[in-house]
Amino acid sequence: MSDLTTFPNAPLPTDAQVRARSNLFIQAARFAVLNIKMIVMVTKGHH
Amino acid sequence: MTRTVILGAGIAGHTAALHLRRMVGKEHDVVVVAPNSQWNWIPSNIWVGVGQMTVKQVTFPLAPIYARKGIEFHQALATELHPEGSADLPTPHVTVRYTDPARADEVAQLEYDFLINATGPKLNFGATPGLGPDGHTWSVCTAGHATETAKAFESVLANLKRGQHQTLLIGMGHGTCTCQGAAFEYTFNVEHELVKEGVRDKAEVIYITNESQLGDFGMDGMNFGHKGDVVPSQMFTESLFQERGVKAIMSAHVEKVEPGVAFYEQVDGTKGEQPFDFAMLLPPFRGADLKAFDKEGGDITGEVFAPSGFMKVDADYSPKPYEEWKASDWPRTYQSAKYDNVWAAGIAFAPPHQMSRPRTSPNGTVIAPAPPRTGMPSGVIGRAVAQTIAGRIKHGSEGKVHTASMADMGAACIASAGKGWRTGQAAAMTVFPIIPDKEKYGEMGRDVKETYGEIGLSAHWMKVMLHYLFIYKAKARPLWFLIPE
Repeated sequence: MSDLTTFPNAPLPTDAQVRARSNLFIQAARFAVLNIKMIVMVTKGHH
Repeated sequence: MTRTVILGAGIAGHTAALHLRRMVGKEHDVVVVAPNSQWNWIPSNIWVGVGQMTVKQVTFPLAPIYARKGIEFHQALATELHPEGSADLPTPHVTVRYTDPARADEVAQLEYDFLINATGPKLNFGATPGLGPDGHTWSVCTAGHATETAKAFESVLANLKRGQHQTLLIGMGHGTCTCQGAAFEYTFNVEHELVKEGVRDKAEVIYITNESQLGDFGMDGMNFGHKGDVVPSQMFTESLFQERGVKAIMSAHVEKVEPGVAFYEQVDGTKGEQPFDFAMLLPPFRGADLKAFDKEGGDITGEVFAPSGFMKVDADYSPKPYEEWKASDWPRTYQSAKYDNVWAAGIAFAPPHQMSRPRTSPNGTVIAPAPPRTGMPSGVIGRAVAQTIAGRIKHGSEGKVHTASMADMGAACIASAGKGWRTGQAAAMTVFPIIPDKEKYGEMGRDVKETYGEIGLSAHWMKVMLHYLFIYKAKARPLWFLIPE
């Protein structure tokens, strides 16, 4: 039979964190931040 | 006038072809040889595999693009490499067999001055008996595979709606697989669809992997900098598995698959079997089936290619234990170890070793995730090789050699966890450098300020944006070259 692993000790996000992940205003701001982070990373990859 | 032949039209080969075409004059030929007529944005295949995108949305025909850009295109499979020429054709050339229906199975020799091997991976389903669409599992490695997988998933949804319990097994079909990120994405997209369809409670979703811990991703794990703290990718990933109720089988090598059951061995030597109603298991990769010959016709495949079939380049291939691995082992120029007018870009180059610690079970089974070479480094490598060749064409041996070591390069990865403008989720991760460098960054091997991860709807928007952006770029639309790899 199989040996399934679960992760009961893994930290779960709080309700506020889960809501924030889908909140349009917060996510619009995160989208801008992510774009900047990606551009920085891309710049570092091009020599 | 020179002639550059590029084998393969995936991310590395196509990027190299487009850049080289704009960098050198029309008197120089740029030739692409690829067995498929279509270009495929592979990162979106996971959405095809759950029925959220169509093949048309992730592919487009290559021939019109190449005709517009003045690139010679042969829809063919390269079979032999003759870097010193041969008795009947003394100049360097490749032998190809056409897959173009108009010239099916015709064999030709294509001469070159410069050659880029960007053949990508061979999907080695044969490594595990019963693996793959010709066996008992599904795949999302190609758009065609993903379409078939979507149909099978639809049947699973129908069964669930009829009240039948279903077990879905997703992950790695062999102990030496790579692309854990794609399996991770498919797992959570499936889970997302099950929730959306209101049948999550009737389904068991199981992730099977050769990783020793979740979040390894074949990259020896990552440590994300977060508000002055460090969050291991293991904790980040386990949290998502726990939140979404996905179970896992860790450190596993799938030995064989029979209808409805996968047999596996774990790193401690124990054997297990996992029944399933639906399985999407990725195959291990190996290099394309290319043979190399010297001018006398002697087989030099072993000198040009590693045993894995990937091409040996300017890497340090001397065998050494995990503790002695260095960032400097990894290639910088991707020039062939044997020929100075041949390069390997993207997945086609032979990595010097894995990134994650390889493990062996007491039975001698190797369970070692292969190092990922994702779209971003593949594109950057393709461009660097094109720049080097353009320099050679313009300035001869004085031309600048461009480098693109994965040990000096960061990567950005968006791992989808469900599609939807309002309900979508994805994990956005950045990592710098890709190859851990313990000499420069200490035991963690990477810059924790630049290595970062977060989950949210915005990351899903990023993935959608990148889908359209990179297809625009690959179609060589106006100002395409301003979009970075």
